[in-house]
Amino acid sequence: MERRKFLSITLGTLALAVVPASVKAEDYRKLKPTVWTAHTVDEAIKAMYGSTTLTMEGVTLKAPDVASNGGAIPVDFSTDKDVKTIAVFQDANPEAAVLVVETNKYSVNKYSIKIKMAKSGTITIVAEGKDGKLYAAKKTLDVALGGCEG
Amino acid sequence: MAGIKAKAKLKGGVVKVKAMIKHEMMTYNMAEKKTGSRDNANFITHLNATINGETVLDMSTSQFLSKNPIFKFQCKGIGAKGDKVLLVATDLKGKTYKGKAKIK
Repeated sequence: MERRKFLSITLGTLALAVVPASVKAEDYRKLKPTVWTAHTVDEAIKAMYGSTTLTMEGVTLKAPDVASNGGAIPVDFSTDKDVKTIAVFQDANPEAAVLVVETNKYSVNKYSIKIKMAKSGTITIVAEGKDGKLYAAKKTLDVALGGCEG
Repeated sequence: MAGIKAKAKLKGGVVKVKAMIKHEMMTYNMAEKKTGSRDNANFITHLNATINGETVLDMSTSQFLSKNPIFKFQCKGIGAKGDKVLLVATDLKGKTYKGKAKIK
């Protein structure tokens, strides 16, 4: 198991042509700058993973149906699949990407974050499985008071 | 060491970490409205957490996290009571924020 993981990590690192193998942090802002400037969720997913074929299973997403304050919307997401990365997108703000988590062998893949949304919209979580599939979950919510304009 | 407040708890072999970064998280739109220039936007772009030198969390983020964002995450197979979780966040201007928590 250790060896398999080591191999996959090494291959991933090689494929991305990142510097030393000991570097663990892959900064997705530098690595894939187009993801962060994409304006729609589809574009962002495509920039991140090269495909928009999503499998709607394996990912749990929890967010309120109605958010009274768009400045801080609690979002919980988790997955039980064997994944490489998990990305969070939404379609209410000027750009779509919110964050990308790179998992590692210690990860439990259960996260809670707080995000901003300017208006009502849909949150999309995409988890890239080690089998190459994109697992996803979506949730549409109403935002009573937009949080992006300060 | 100001910047990140964090708590870590070990339960059933899983370390649960809760962290809050004190940061304005100014989006481009907000910066334009308040200061007249989009260049004044500033937000956390990367968060990294380590236990005993091993990375347990790597997160690249954008401006759409809330102000003073809170993160909760879990990791297993590493860390014992008394070990420290080190957190480092970097913002758009290159400033780093550090925080640590002792696992309880």
